[in-house]
Amino acid sequence: MKRSLFIFLPVIAAIILASGCKKFLEKPPQGQLTEEEALKDEAGILTFLNGEYTLIGDADFLGGRVQSISDMLADQLNGSRFTGDFAEIFKRQNSIFGGTRDALYKKGYRIINVANIVLNKLSLISDANKNNVKGQALFCRALAHFELVRIFAQPWGYTSDNAHNGIPLRTEIVVGSIQRASVKEVYDQVIADLKEAETLLPDALAAGKYYTATKWAAKAYLAKVYFQMNDFANAYSYADQVIASNKFTLDNTYDKRYSPGMSTEGIFTIANEVNRYMPGAELRGNYRSDKGIPTLNFTDQFYNYAISRAADVRKVWYSNTLQSGYNVLTKYNKDYFDLPIAHLTEIKLIRAESGAEIASSNASALSTAITDINSILTRAYGGTSNNLASNASAALVISTTRTERELELIGEGSRYNEIKRIGARSGTNIDRRGSVWNCNGFILQFPKSEQDAFSAFIMNPEGGCF
Amino acid sequence: MLRRKLFRASLLLALLLITCLSYSQEKIISGRVTDSLGVGIPGVNVTVKGGREGAQTGPDGTYRFAVPSNVTTLLFSSIGYATTEVNISGKNSVDVQMVNTSSSLGEVVVVGYGTQRRREVTGAVSRVSSEKLNAIPVPSFEAALQGKAPGVQVIQGNGLAGSGSVIRIRGVGSISASADPLYVIDGIPIVSDPFLRGNSGAMNQNPLSSLNPADIESVEILKDAGATGIYGSRGANGVILITTKRGRTGKASFSYANKLGISNYAIKPSFVNGQEWLQLREEAWINSGHTGLAPLPGSLTWAEASANNTDWWDLLTRTGFINEHNLSMNAGTSKLKTFANLTYGEDQGYIKANSYDRLSARLNVDYKPIDILKVSLTTGYNRGVNKRVPAAWDGGIGDAMSSALPIYTPYNVIGTYVTTTANPIRRINETHRREVDNRFLGGVTIELQPIKNLFLKGAGSLEYRNAVDDQYETYLWQQKSDPDSGYAKRYPYWGTNWTTTFTANYIWDAGENHKFNFLVGQEDQSVSLKEYTSEIGQWYGNPFWDNKNTKSSYEHLRHDLLRNGLMEERQKDAWTFTSFFARINYNYKSRYFLQLTGRADGSSKFGTNNKYGFFPAASAAWNISDEKFLKGIKWISFLKLRASYGIVGNANIPSGVYYDNYQRGGNDYNGAPTLYLNNLGNPDLKWETMKNADAGLEFAILNNRVTGEVAYYHKVSTDILLSPGISPSATGLGDIWRNLTNSEILNEGMEFSLNLKIIDQDKFKWSIGGNIAKNHNEVLKYELGPDAVSGGTNDTRIVEGYPIGVNYLVRYYGVDPSDGLPIWLDKDGKQTKTFSLDHRVYAGSVLPDYVGGVNTSLEYGNFELSALLTFVIGGNLYENSGKYQFLGVSKKNWNFREDFLDRWTKPGDVAQYPKLLYDAAEYPGVPSEDQFNSTMFLRDADYLRLRELSLSYTFPRASLVKVKLKGLRLFLTGSNLLTFTKFPGGDPEITRDFENPQDRNLSPNITYLTAPTQKTIVFGLNVNF
Repeated sequence: MKRSLFIFLPVIAAIILASGCKKFLEKPPQGQLTEEEALKDEAGILTFLNGEYTLIGDADFLGGRVQSISDMLADQLNGSRFTGDFAEIFKRQNSIFGGTRDALYKKGYRIINVANIVLNKLSLISDANKNNVKGQALFCRALAHFELVRIFAQPWGYTSDNAHNGIPLRTEIVVGSIQRASVKEVYDQVIADLKEAETLLPDALAAGKYYTATKWAAKAYLAKVYFQMNDFANAYSYADQVIASNKFTLDNTYDKRYSPGMSTEGIFTIANEVNRYMPGAELRGNYRSDKGIPTLNFTDQFYNYAISRAADVRKVWYSNTLQSGYNVLTKYNKDYFDLPIAHLTEIKLIRAESGAEIASSNASALSTAITDINSILTRAYGGTSNNLASNASAALVISTTRTERELELIGEGSRYNEIKRIGARSGTNIDRRGSVWNCNGFILQFPKSEQDAFSAFIMNPEGGCF
Repeated sequence: MLRRKLFRASLLLALLLITCLSYSQEKIISGRVTDSLGVGIPGVNVTVKGGREGAQTGPDGTYRFAVPSNVTTLLFSSIGYATTEVNISGKNSVDVQMVNTSSSLGEVVVVGYGTQRRREVTGAVSRVSSEKLNAIPVPSFEAALQGKAPGVQVIQGNGLAGSGSVIRIRGVGSISASADPLYVIDGIPIVSDPFLRGNSGAMNQNPLSSLNPADIESVEILKDAGATGIYGSRGANGVILITTKRGRTGKASFSYANKLGISNYAIKPSFVNGQEWLQLREEAWINSGHTGLAPLPGSLTWAEASANNTDWWDLLTRTGFINEHNLSMNAGTSKLKTFANLTYGEDQGYIKANSYDRLSARLNVDYKPIDILKVSLTTGYNRGVNKRVPAAWDGGIGDAMSSALPIYTPYNVIGTYVTTTANPIRRINETHRREVDNRFLGGVTIELQPIKNLFLKGAGSLEYRNAVDDQYETYLWQQKSDPDSGYAKRYPYWGTNWTTTFTANYIWDAGENHKFNFLVGQEDQSVSLKEYTSEIGQWYGNPFWDNKNTKSSYEHLRHDLLRNGLMEERQKDAWTFTSFFARINYNYKSRYFLQLTGRADGSSKFGTNNKYGFFPAASAAWNISDEKFLKGIKWISFLKLRASYGIVGNANIPSGVYYDNYQRGGNDYNGAPTLYLNNLGNPDLKWETMKNADAGLEFAILNNRVTGEVAYYHKVSTDILLSPGISPSATGLGDIWRNLTNSEILNEGMEFSLNLKIIDQDKFKWSIGGNIAKNHNEVLKYELGPDAVSGGTNDTRIVEGYPIGVNYLVRYYGVDPSDGLPIWLDKDGKQTKTFSLDHRVYAGSVLPDYVGGVNTSLEYGNFELSALLTFVIGGNLYENSGKYQFLGVSKKNWNFREDFLDRWTKPGDVAQYPKLLYDAAEYPGVPSEDQFNSTMFLRDADYLRLRELSLSYTFPRASLVKVKLKGLRLFLTGSNLLTFTKFPGGDPEITRDFENPQDRNLSPNITYLTAPTQKTIVFGLNVNF
């Protein structure tokens, strides 16, 4: 008996230990939460949605990556010193590998994924907040899809039915691969999301700051989307609604748009908090010129063009002496600033150009357009001397607006989208580097990982721009 | 107090047992049977001469049984040993040392949770003894295993002091999960993750460097399921069992060992000098269609550049000194045995300011208060101080091979540092770093033999690590004027590894021919490492490690940061295992052996839906030489056939990845808190499963003059663990750990080892030995695209039908003699002058075909000359930094290697390399220099290396008596003295810095500015007194 006791002793010990080891085998990583824990209630979901804005303003997305890559693809930068990813993008021969591009792509889809998760959890949101939360999620999803489709697909108008390949359209949570949707499908979804968001989002925020999405953010983005589609009537209409709201006013000087809290133009702005969350890191990282030679600097051609107008107060945005031998931008020479994603200057430029475009069917639109462009000109040239006459032709308004857009939105990634939009509108190639607007390499390649996970994934054809 | 109580209780328990098991006319006889090295021999038959009573020795060689009081003689018998008769009259305790009759086949090898005799082992186990391990100074003990065990590939660490080797036992069967073996020291599975500090400073912290090689008695390498099955979910990569030295019976004796020597690099790559670099730059500039003088980097003028010719390598390197002292003590009675060891060593690397210093102490005590109880204490403390230098991509010696051009200079004319161009001298002088790794490993084992043939064992152990990464940047580095405005920072982590093991071992002799050995056990392990949420740093005139004051100001700073809530402790890593295991050994007529093992492992690393895995294995052995039909054949001394099959696992999954990773953001946004989804978990996550089959033939012929082993293995891994390869648009997040369905990786191979005693006389001995292993690695099933998985930043891939870590490259055909442009081969093998990533094909493999070693030893009188050659045959090296070195004179601005001078310069030239251009993208189709990967930089990995060469003289005992010494030996040893290779880039043995375990699996043999291995010459002295 005693013998068998000794034999079974370890067995008994083991059983005792085993019963206590269920807890022993659970070591959830400290600080990590599961979805059930993190998004168990409205508070959790609101916190999750709040983080979404910092993703939008992240260095890898609209905190500078989208703008920098767009500018590299365009025709203002001097790319002779670029190496690696930057050189590929600049040379319009982006290949299947490239961390700079991959990070942007992933960040865009991360924003979309957050939106989809929030949309999936709406049942946990109180009725009082439901519309607002849903509207914000739809807005963010549309914003990210729109920014991505402009860089990874040929533009709207590349084919007559826009059935050409767009990007993967993610409106549901699928942890797996899907094929690219057509450009039409992507734009349709973006517009549908924004239009729904427009009806759900609040008119204004409590604090009067536009640091999260409102109805006006959705309308401003609708104006941007329609303008990109060369759908001028709709672009005009949405830009008009934003401006007519009188909630936003043009800054009295050109340099307040990127400032800590001093701009009144922001329709949708990512808020800066000093030493905590400071959006726009990559704008500063790539363009800032007072702390060293910036990675991105301009060609002599563009530099000379940009400073050629004697009265233009915006000339101080450029310098070829701050860093000897480099034509640099000074716009982002700040330690931090609020990051405007949609602002009144751009919306005014949209209304001006769209108004002129639809002048033949809407005469009042032309005069509105002239007023808009003149407000920009007055600020830019320190007075009305460069303003257009009140009877200026639509064509003059368009050409003037395009010029001012390039100068006003320098370093904001606008030029690239204009090359594509104008090319798609009329087949005109305005690229100073001589590429055809729809050449293959004029958009980014998809990350190879899409194809590796899903062999049928359609990659972009490469090169062929020079 | 508590200890005393425990002791009393156990004493009482023991007494009770003795009373109830004793009979008046019998006496209890006990003792321990050891081999010549003092290692206990299990399974020895102890019988009463002329009687039926008997017992077998237990796992540690001890025996204990009742004999009639009139018995005077015991017989100790065991195959492989001479039968020994011992008179026991008047004794209750008899220790016996048995003489080995059949060389290594009689030796005792350590297996999981016990020991077995070599001839009875049914699994594949290689043993490397202490002497072989300590033959040369190595940065870390595992490097000394190279060439010494068949099927064990050791790629020794690079030239940085303290760097770790990559060890692969019978190939690689994993992609994302680490393929490193499990390291078990004295029964404790240790924390051996080389990525606890990521890839900081271009070096992976080597957890094994904090094990003192001088402490090690033997290293057993378990290779097949028969051997590793008892380790279940952690057995798939093989298991390395490390046994530390213990005390032996005998008077107190001491041993002192000293090594003094020098270190340098084995082979270095050669680069062009300043003038040549400038000429080549101009050549590239002109080739690119430009005129005039080429622009120079760093705003240098041609005149300035021409005035410089800096040999950065020379400035950064030195001859390092090696100085090691080791003092050990051994003392033992039948009750108390003690081994103690003290080591101090300073191993300087050949890079200035780089060294690994060791301070180590060990105390192993075995106490046997009564026959049936043994208490063992095992403690070891090691403090390793690694004085680090930056390397590879992080600068320092890496800069000397890349961006520190000979046309640059470290100092301005006024004597201050140049800061506008790469300056590794400034870096190495003005930044200092030391990594201190304190490791304490201690345990108490209680062994109890309550009844005959039953052995109970309980062990509790603690591994405590406290690692500090201390960095200092001087005011000159910070470009400040006040000498107090340097910056001191420290990153500590610390934590514990608790392991408890209970085993019960019962030996049952069911008649003369049937012997059973049952083992059941339970083991718990809990590892927890902690760190702070931020660095602990401040502007300071000294590094924190400097002196008492600096240490106390660190303590103040740490205290303040914690108190003010600016920093807190957080979990760095935490995981647990809980396991149940059993082993049954059956032995029929000492000729047929069968072993069954099973282990159930539960781990916190596994997903909630797969908390436990079960891993069975069976193995058998047949000692053919004991069969009657072979008895007559004299020249066969021993012949054993063995085979095993089992299912083992790889549980090297990072902790907590099965768990969703939602985390609160560190910063608010717009006045409200934030929350992020950083990664998705996977509740189905589980171990990788490997079906592991092995068959082997062990032999000894011609009176044991020739011994050897042939083995074949076939291992198929399934449920491969993978983290990348998810569509990036699916969640936009990182990778998700999962078991890949429909995935299989094969490792199949042969191993052969042979030892010949060519001359075996008293005065003159000559032996040659060697081993060679061939491994065939193939990804049998894999559905993802070729680029889904890559080895870090390296160009290695996973492609179905090819080995792990294939070089997937554009094939370079040669130069077009007419225009000097490269000719490539497209996918179909057609020549093209336009480069495209679409032309990439399987072009090579980083895994070798054969690895092995050849050793020889010549003894004449008291002299011994020995050598070890190691070799690698087959496989490729890829020079990931080579492409930039070739493009060195382009606007990449790197050093240009001399072997690239064989380039096209004018029409008609037949050259190995194309013409130089100012921009890599000017080679048609090349998107950028980063994509300029082709077979142009793929090399043969074959090499033969004189790994060890040693000459020693042992003084005759007689001559030492006068000076009261028991032994004296002097030796001169060199390591890595000669290397034969076709590799143009320097050292062909490459362990670079890795990003993660996947990189480590896929990218051995990929070089990126990797510092060449050390060459050392050491004079040594061993004294015994």
